[in-house]
Formats: sequence, structure tokens, C-alpha cells
Amino acid sequence: MADMTYREALRRALDDELARDPDVFLMGEEIGRFEGSYKVTAGLWEKYGPVRVRETPISEEGFIGAGIGAAMMGLRPVVEIMTINFILVAMDQVINHAAKIRYMFGGTVGVPLVIRTPAGAGAQLTAQHSQSLEGWFAGCPGLKVVAPGSPADAYGMLKTAIRDDDPVLFVENLVMYNVTGPVPDDPDHTVPFGSAAVVREGTDLTIVAHSYTVQRALRVADNLSRDGIEAEVVDLRSLRPLDAETVAESVRKTNRALIAEEGWSTYGVGAELAARIHRLCFDDLDAPVERVGGAEVPMPYSKPLELAALPLEAKIEAAARGLLADSGITA
Amino acid sequence: MPRLSDTMEEGTIGRWLVKEGDSFSEGDVLAEIETDKATMEFQAYDAGTVLRILVGDGESAALGAPIAIIGDQGEQVDGAAAADGAGAEAAEDAAPPAEAEAEAEPEAPSQPAATRPARPASNGSAAGVALRVSPIARRMADDAGIDLTGMAGRGSGPEGRIVKADVERLIAGGGGAPPAAPSQPPQPAPQADEVRELTPMLKAVAARMAQSKATVPHFYVESEIDMTRALALRAELNEGLAASGEKISVNDLIVRACAVALLEHPQAHRSYVDGRHAYHAHANIGIAVALDDGLIVPVVVATDTKTVREISRETRDLAGRAREGKLKQREIEGGTFTVSNMGMFDVANFEAIINPPESAILAVGATVARPVVVEGEIVVRQMMRVTLSCDHRACSGADGAKLLQTVKRLLQSPSLLLV
Repeated sequence: MADMTYREALRRALDDELARDPDVFLMGEEIGRFEGSYKVTAGLWEKYGPVRVRETPISEEGFIGAGIGAAMMGLRPVVEIMTINFILVAMDQVINHAAKIRYMFGGTVGVPLVIRTPAGAGAQLTAQHSQSLEGWFAGCPGLKVVAPGSPADAYGMLKTAIRDDDPVLFVENLVMYNVTGPVPDDPDHTVPFGSAAVVREGTDLTIVAHSYTVQRALRVADNLSRDGIEAEVVDLRSLRPLDAETVAESVRKTNRALIAEEGWSTYGVGAELAARIHRLCFDDLDAPVERVGGAEVPMPYSKPLELAALPLEAKIEAAARGLLADSGITA
Repeated sequence: MPRLSDTMEEGTIGRWLVKEGDSFSEGDVLAEIETDKATMEFQAYDAGTVLRILVGDGESAALGAPIAIIGDQGEQVDGAAAADGAGAEAAEDAAPPAEAEAEAEPEAPSQPAATRPARPASNGSAAGVALRVSPIARRMADDAGIDLTGMAGRGSGPEGRIVKADVERLIAGGGGAPPAAPSQPPQPAPQADEVRELTPMLKAVAARMAQSKATVPHFYVESEIDMTRALALRAELNEGLAASGEKISVNDLIVRACAVALLEHPQAHRSYVDGRHAYHAHANIGIAVALDDGLIVPVVVATDTKTVREISRETRDLAGRAREGKLKQREIEGGTFTVSNMGMFDVANFEAIINPPESAILAVGATVARPVVVEGEIVVRQMMRVTLSCDHRACSGADGAKLLQTVKRLLQSPSLLLV
């Protein structure tokens, strides 16, 4: 185990896979000489050269399409989209092509493509650059969508994504890049998709989160713990396939569920999970499932407004206490 | 054995009014059951035929234990089911494996109807109160054979929903005690001659006050204010205003004093909201108005910008419309502080519950002439006792004390209220 940032863990996974499999190559805007907008690909262009670390024009639809074609022909492209907001100009490629080709071709050809892209907000990038849209993609059959919440999972899941024979949207997070955590040294360490992780054990309520919100949830759990409330935190890790059973197992124990996410709650990841929890754990619930998400507005530029719109720790904690109050528990 | 009183743990069959083979309709009285309180009629939950009586006249059974098996006319009761029922008290050990499932689900729909608790009878405490139970609480109660109908509306969840913690307490307390009084003797259901739904206003008051007292850490600061000069000022003002028909009340002066003091002490005039302090540029003072049954707190907005006369007019208007039930929603919102004056009821003093998200409330007692020591002399002064309740998350004891000190200073030098 070595401590490293989420960014370094991603870089190491890319480096490992580039070294392991000559079919793997990277594509994206400014990922070579400039090392990527968020420096995830730093050093890889020098190490692997401009053929395997390819710079592209500002044309997401074009280079995602190129990635799909390369994947269909047997390569394993890892395409970087600078932020998830920019994938919108390439929606047809992602939803109508990458996600559909295996089906449309009767299973004869797959698309082993990885699209890496950060979601999230918090740096005053305002309405068009601060969205968490992963839930939209997780609603589409044919795609796999993962959003790891720790450096170790970032490492293990990016490797799983690259080795997967189907298209994977790999959702990172702007604030998360600098989060540090232990990462296994084993170059064959992979983390399977469709398996949520209990990252903190507790007895009084379950907080379910993904990506950077997991870190927030852990801090909330520490705060609650000072008042004698023990929250269990479940990191979903993978949104599609979704491991609702691990969540359900936790809720059966705690009887209370709170889902926190950075995206909008309406039609969000929490909406899907709430439905699953009600189905799987109806007789185990002591209070209605609660959700916390970003304010349902375009993200404001103003710092105080941005902070007000984000589902920060205070909001998650207040929701947790509200949920407990509904169960007659106050602390 | 149905729960026919809130505190019964077992019941005795006084006498059966039906015998094996008799058919009955929903609502028919099947038996008289003696509880710890009285002899009650046990009405049929559904139509059917008595197949087997398991607990005879004069015999007792624990709550939830089968007392009879009912079904369709001509239906055969197999021996195992009857034995299962008859041996209810020791059934857990005695039941053969094949019966284990039925035993584990005493409330299963296939169970004979008569063994289910009867619907709340007309004298039941649950009459007219919705039984809300969280799913896990319902399951736990079912598993423990506890009938929750007597607890309707008295759980600790929203709107009296019975939650897991309530059932845990019931189980720990032997199945009888409601959560409010886990110690013995169990608190009986209110022995009401009449049960009425709360008006929406009373519901709101109940919910808000319970939430406030349960979640807001109150502390209290008391003081005594010499109102002699304030009363003199009031008399003078009212003499001057006599022609206009307006009358300044003591409360108007108190409200004005609070407004001025609150602006001087921002730390005692902020709300604790979601881990932050929300400050207020103006003092919006709520004035508690007692109604025939309940109360309402209209708000005088930006009281600090208004003269005593303006405050007086506005308060009179708001209080009048409050009693007529004609306040608009916006007139009862946005308060930053409340004054609750019960001087007119001759109370010496009292402690008020904060109206969240406000962080403080001033409880005002009656002004009475009392001997006090002033500059070494015993003199008679008009004294008023006040108690300030504060949210300790919003301000410290010293903040509250300073606020009260300023209120006192202003009321004791009341001409300051006019500038």
C-alpha cells in the first residue's frame, strides 16, 4: 500500500494498462504535451509517444466516434473528455452508438471503449461546467457507469474498465483529484463493477453516496459519531450495474436510509436507489428514505451561492438528523 | 386475546355469548372479556362460524394468545391447529416443526379472524386517531405479538407515527408501557370522555413546540424590572392621545424596548440554522396572542424602525385580526424574536418555549406594586418579572444577560424608547 492522490492512482492505472496491453491507447484534448487539463495523463506522452497518447482537436463528437470505431476494430481506447459537461455535444455517439452497437450488430462486435471524465463543482466554474450528469448515463442500458469514491477504487476500477469488453463511462470528480488515500501496490489489483462497498460501519442509519460525496458522507459520519450516532456509509462505486443488495443489507441493519449525491435529486441516482430500497427493504424501514442533492438550479458563479447550492456536509448532516428525528431519535 | 385496555397483559373470558358451531356477523358480540380495568364486549372483526373455543368461560389467556378458532361453516379444525392454539402459552416449545411457520407469523391472514385484535371499540382510546406505524416497527410488533392500536397517534415519529424505538421500549417494558412513561406504573391512555381532532393551528403549535423543546437547547435568564417610570410615561402618553382614541399598552413599550435592545446585541439576535448563524438586520418581533383555544404569533416587521405609537397601532390591528382568524400567512412569518406577555393573567413569571428558527423569547409576568430597596430606602415600586429563553446554539448566557440588561435599562429610563 502506498498513499497517493486520486489523480496519481488514475495515472498509475493508465500507465500500467498502457504497459500491459499494446492495444490500449489514450485520446483527448491537450492530454499530451500539456498533460491534460487536470494533469491525469502527466508524463505518459513522454513515456508512450504521440501514437498511443493522441491529442485531438476540440471535437468531442469526432474523437468519441473515432474511439468507438477503434474499439470496434479491436483496440482499447481510453478517451478523456475534459469535463462531463462537454460530453453533451457527443451524446449521439455515446447513447446511440457506443451503447447500442453490440445489440445492433447481433452481438458480433463490441465496443471496449472507456470514456474518462470528471463531474462535480466547487471551483466557481458556474452553470455550464459544474454538473454531475452521471445519473443520465446510468439510465441507459448498454453502458456501464462507474464513479469511484476513493483513490484505491479509482485505480482498481479504471483497470477493470479498460479490460472490460463493453463501453464504460468512468466518472471522476474535480475536487476528488487531490484526495489522498492508500492504493494497493499490486499491479493486477482490480475492483469489479456492480459491487458497492461498506466504507464505514454503523448501526443507526445508512448514508449511500458515490464519487466525492462519499468523502463528505464520511465526514458527516464522524460528526454524528460525536453525538453517539453511528452512520454506516456505503460507497456505490458503480452506478450501472448497480449493487442495490449491499445497500439493502445495510438498510436492513440500520432501518434508515439517506442518499446523498452532488447531482440534482430529481430523477437522480437517489431516486433510483430510493425505489430499490423501498422494494427490497420495505418492512425494514423505520422512516421514509431521504435524499440530499444539489440545489435544483443552474450552478451559480457567486461563491456564497455556489456553496449554498452544493450538498455540503451541513446539508447531509441535517438530513441525517431529520431522518433520525423521524424515528424519534435526537442527539 | 385482544388488547381491550391499554394496560392489560392478559384477559379473562367472562363468558362466551356464542358456542361452537354458531355463526355470527361482523360486529356481533362474541364474548365478554374481563381486562384489568373493566368487562368489555369483544366484537367480531368479520363474519364467520365458531369452530372451536380454546379458552373457556372464566379462563385467562395472555395478550395475543388464540382464544378461539373461527372459519367457514362445516370447516374441519385439524388437531394440530387446535393443539397449536390451545397450547399457545407453551406453543413455542411444543409446536411440531410443521407448525413452526404458522407460529412465526401470528398475524398471517390465514389465521382465524377472532384471534386478531378487534377493531378499536367505541370506548377505545384510539377512536378517531390514525394508526401510523413504520414498516419495521409494525414487523417487530407483529413478531412480538404486540397490538399497537392503543398507541395510535402516540409514537415518537412525525404525526405520532410509531417507530422502531417505540416498539423496542414496549418490548423492553413488557409490552404495556407507552414510550412517554417507560417506568411503572404504565401511563394509562387518556381516560377521555370525548376525543377531538386538533385544529390545524393546534397541530402546528404542538409540532413546533415539541420540536423546539426537544431539539433547541434552552437556557433561561430572569430579571426584575422597575416599571414605575414606564407606567408614568404610558399614562402621560395616553392622556395626550386620548382625543385620538389610541392607547399605548405596557406591552407596546416592552416590544419597543426589545427591538432597540436586539439591534444593540446582534449576538443575541441571530438564529442557529444548519450549523450556521443567521443574523438579522431588523427586529421582527412576534407577539403571542392567546386565542380561545390555542395561540398565534403575528409579527410586527422591522419593529426597530417604528415608533411606540406605530407599534401600538399595528399590534392592535394584528391581535384583533388574530382573534378573528383573519391573519395572512405572511403576517405570522419571519419573526426574529417573540414577546409573550401573560401579565394580564396575574402570573408572577413563567418560562416560554422558543419559536424556531427564532433564538429567543421574552416571557413577561404581571407588574405589581412591591416594596423594594432603592438607595437604602424601602419604597413601593411597580415591579415586573421577565424571563428570557435563549437558544444556546445561537448565543451564550452572557449574550442573553446583556440583552436583558439593555431591555431593563430602556424600560427603567423609558424616555429612551421615544428617541
